[in-house]
Amino acid sequence: MHYCGDFRTTYEKDIEILQTPTTRFGVAAFLAFLVVFPFLVKGEYLWVGLQILIAVIGAVGLNILTGYTGQISLGQGAFFGVGAYTTAYITAKMGLSFWVGVPAAGLVTAAAGMVFGIPSLRLKGLYLAIATLASQFILEWVFLRWEPVTGGSFGIIVPRPSIGGYVFDTDRSYYYLVLAITVVMVLFAVNIVRTRTGRAFMAIRDHYISAEIMGINLFRYRILSFGISSFYAGVAGALLGHSLKFVTSEQFNLGLSVTYLAMIIIGGLGSILGSIYGAVFMILLPKILTVLTGKLTLLIPGAAGLAIAMEQGVFGIIIILFLIFEPDGLAHRWKMIKAYWKLYPFSY
Amino acid sequence: MPFGVPEAEGNAVTNHKIREGKEKMKKMMKIASMVAALAMVLSGAAFSAETIKVGHLADLTGPTGDVGKPYAEGVQAYKNYINAHGGINGKQIEMQMFDYAYDKNKAVNQYKKYKEDKVVVIEGWGTGDTEALTGFVNIDKIPYISASYSAHLTDAKKTPYNFFCAADYTTALRAGLKYLKDDWKEKRAPKIVFIYPNHPYGIAPIKGGKEYAKELGFEILGDENVDLKAIEANSQLLSVKNKGADFAWIGGTTNSTAVILKDAKKLGLKTKFFSNIWGIDESTPKLAGGAEEGALVMAGSARYGDKVPGMTLLTSVEKTPQVTHYIRGWVSMMVLVEALKRADKKGPITGETVKAALETFKDYDTGGLTPAKITFTSTDHRPFTSVNVMEMQKGKLVIKKTMDLPRKAEWLGL
Repeated sequence: MHYCGDFRTTYEKDIEILQTPTTRFGVAAFLAFLVVFPFLVKGEYLWVGLQILIAVIGAVGLNILTGYTGQISLGQGAFFGVGAYTTAYITAKMGLSFWVGVPAAGLVTAAAGMVFGIPSLRLKGLYLAIATLASQFILEWVFLRWEPVTGGSFGIIVPRPSIGGYVFDTDRSYYYLVLAITVVMVLFAVNIVRTRTGRAFMAIRDHYISAEIMGINLFRYRILSFGISSFYAGVAGALLGHSLKFVTSEQFNLGLSVTYLAMIIIGGLGSILGSIYGAVFMILLPKILTVLTGKLTLLIPGAAGLAIAMEQGVFGIIIILFLIFEPDGLAHRWKMIKAYWKLYPFSY
Repeated sequence: MPFGVPEAEGNAVTNHKIREGKEKMKKMMKIASMVAALAMVLSGAAFSAETIKVGHLADLTGPTGDVGKPYAEGVQAYKNYINAHGGINGKQIEMQMFDYAYDKNKAVNQYKKYKEDKVVVIEGWGTGDTEALTGFVNIDKIPYISASYSAHLTDAKKTPYNFFCAADYTTALRAGLKYLKDDWKEKRAPKIVFIYPNHPYGIAPIKGGKEYAKELGFEILGDENVDLKAIEANSQLLSVKNKGADFAWIGGTTNSTAVILKDAKKLGLKTKFFSNIWGIDESTPKLAGGAEEGALVMAGSARYGDKVPGMTLLTSVEKTPQVTHYIRGWVSMMVLVEALKRADKKGPITGETVKAALETFKDYDTGGLTPAKITFTSTDHRPFTSVNVMEMQKGKLVIKKTMDLPRKAEWLGL
C-alpha cells in the first residue's frame, strides 16, 4: 500500500538515493535504455551519445566545485586538456595502457586543479573566476609550447584502449566503456554530496564564515573541492582524447570552459541530476539546430546561408530564454513536472 | 539565488505554476506533432544511380568564412564541371557541401555521418577540422584533402591519409627567407623578426623557419605575438622598430596581417614584411588601406586570369574574377578527380585505393595553376616545394618570382 506522501521513519530511509518505487523503476529503465542505445542508432548519433556521456562526467565535476562549493571556475576546459595530454603522453609516448593512462590523467589533473585552486582561499565570486581564467591561459600556453611532452602545435595521436587482445576500436564498444565509467563517476559524486565532505562543501557555499565558525577547515575543503572537480575533468578529458584518437591544444580553449559552465547553470547548480540534464541539453541542442537548418535549407534553398548563420544566434536566444523562464535549471523543472504528476488529477 | 536551497514543494505558488504549465504543455504537444509531421515529409530519401560519394567540409559562415567560401566554391565549381562532362569514367560524383562554420564538434559529427554514408574521400578545410579529424581519417582509411598546409601533415609515416595541394607553411617560410637573402645586397647580416599568433597554425612553421634562417645567415631578433583577432599591434611593432629589423615574417590571417601592416605604416617602420599564404590576398588593399604596398606573400597558386594553360578552363567556367583561394580549391578538386579516375581504372574505389592512386602522382601537371607539378609518394606527401612569391603593388598582387626549393628529406614533416 502506498500512502499519500512520503513517510520516512528512519535516517537511512531519509538519505536513500532512490526513494520511491517509481524512481527506482525510472532509473532502471533509463539505464536499460542507455545499454540498448548503441543498437538503436549508429554513426553520427552514436557519436553524439558518446560525447554526452563524456560531458556528463565533466559537468558533474564542475558542479561539485561551482554548484556545491560555490567556487566559480573558468578553467574546466584547460583541466580537460591536462587530462587528455596526460593520458596521451602515457599511452602514446610511454606505451603504457589506457588503464594506467586514465586514472593517472585524473590524478595529475587533480594535482593541477589543487595548485590553481590555491587563490580560492583569498578570492571568491568573480575574482576567483578571473584567477581560474588565468589557469586557462597558462595551461593553453603550456599545451602549445611544451613540445617534447605535448607535441606542440601538432598534438599527439592516441590509441583507443584495449583489454587482453580486444580493442575498443568502434564507437559502440568504446561507448560501453565510457558508459561504465560515467555511471561509476556519477554514483561517486552522488555519494560525495551526502557525506561529511559534501556537507562541508555546501556549508562553505552557503556562508563561509559560518562554516569556519562551525569548525570547517576552509582551505582544506576548498582545495579538496578543486581536486575532486579537476579529477573529474581529467578523466573526462582523457576519455575525450581517446574518443577523438588525437589530442591537440585547439580542443581545450576557453570556449569549452564556458560551455561547461553553461551546462551546469542550465541544468541546475548544486544538483547532480542537473549536471546530467545540462550536458544532454548543451550537446544535443546544437545538433538539433543543425538538423533543423538542414531541413529548412531543403525547404527554402535561398535561405541556406542565412539559416546556418542564424544557428549560433538561435542557440544564444534559446539559452537566454531558458535562463529567464527557468533560472533554477532543468533539474528544478523536472521536479515540478514530477510534483504535477504525483498529484494528478487532483492538484488543488 | 542560484546557490540557494531548493524551495519547499507543494505551496500555493507552485501549484499555480503547475496549472499554467499544463496549458503550456498542451500547446507544446501540438507544436511538436506539427514539427514531427513536417520533418517526415521533408526527409524523403534521394534516389541515385552509380555514384562516387565524396565528403566536403567547408567554412562559409564561421570565423574563416571570408577565405573559406571562395575556396569551397572553387572545389564545387570543378566538381560540377566534371559531373557535367562525363564524371569519373561515367560515374557521377555525389558531393554535398557541409558548412561546419569552423566548429570542430560539428565537423566531427558530420564526419561520423560521412562514415555512415561510406564516403571514400573528404575535401576538408582548415586547421580546426583537419586536426579534429586527423585521428579518425588515418584509422578509418579515408583520405583527407585539406587547406591546412601544416608541414606535420606531410609525413606519411605519421599521417598517411592527409594530403594537400600547396607548399606547406614551413616550406613557404623557407622560400621567403631564400628570396629575401638572394636579394640582399648589404655586407652585414640581415635582421629578421617573426610575428605570429599563439596558435597551432602560427607556431607550426617557426621552428623549421628559424633553423633555415640561421643557415642562410640571418640575424634572428626574436618573436612577437599578435593574436588572430588583434585590433592593434602597436607595442609589438614598436619593439620591431626598436630592434631595427630589416624583415618581418607575418604568420597570421588577412585580418591580423592588415592590422600589423597598418600599425607598421603608422609607426614609420622601414621593415619589409612577408606573410604566409593566408596573410595577404586580394582583399588586403581594402583592409590595410594602402599600408600593404611592397608586402610579400608566399602564394600557392596562379592569379585569376594569368596566362597559363590551366586558366583557360577555369575562366570559361567562372566568368567573374576570383581570389587565389578559389584557384587553390579548384586545384585540390582537380587532384582529387584525377586520383578517383586513376583508382577507378584499377578497380573498386575505396579510401585505400584512392590513397594509393594519389601516391602514384608523379609530376602531375595542373596547367600552371600551381607553382610546380604535383608529386606524392608513399612516404612523402609534400606536393611540391615551390612558392609563387607575390608582392602587393598599387593594390594588385604581382608575381615576383617562383622560388623552387630542394625536396630535402630532413625537412619532411618539419
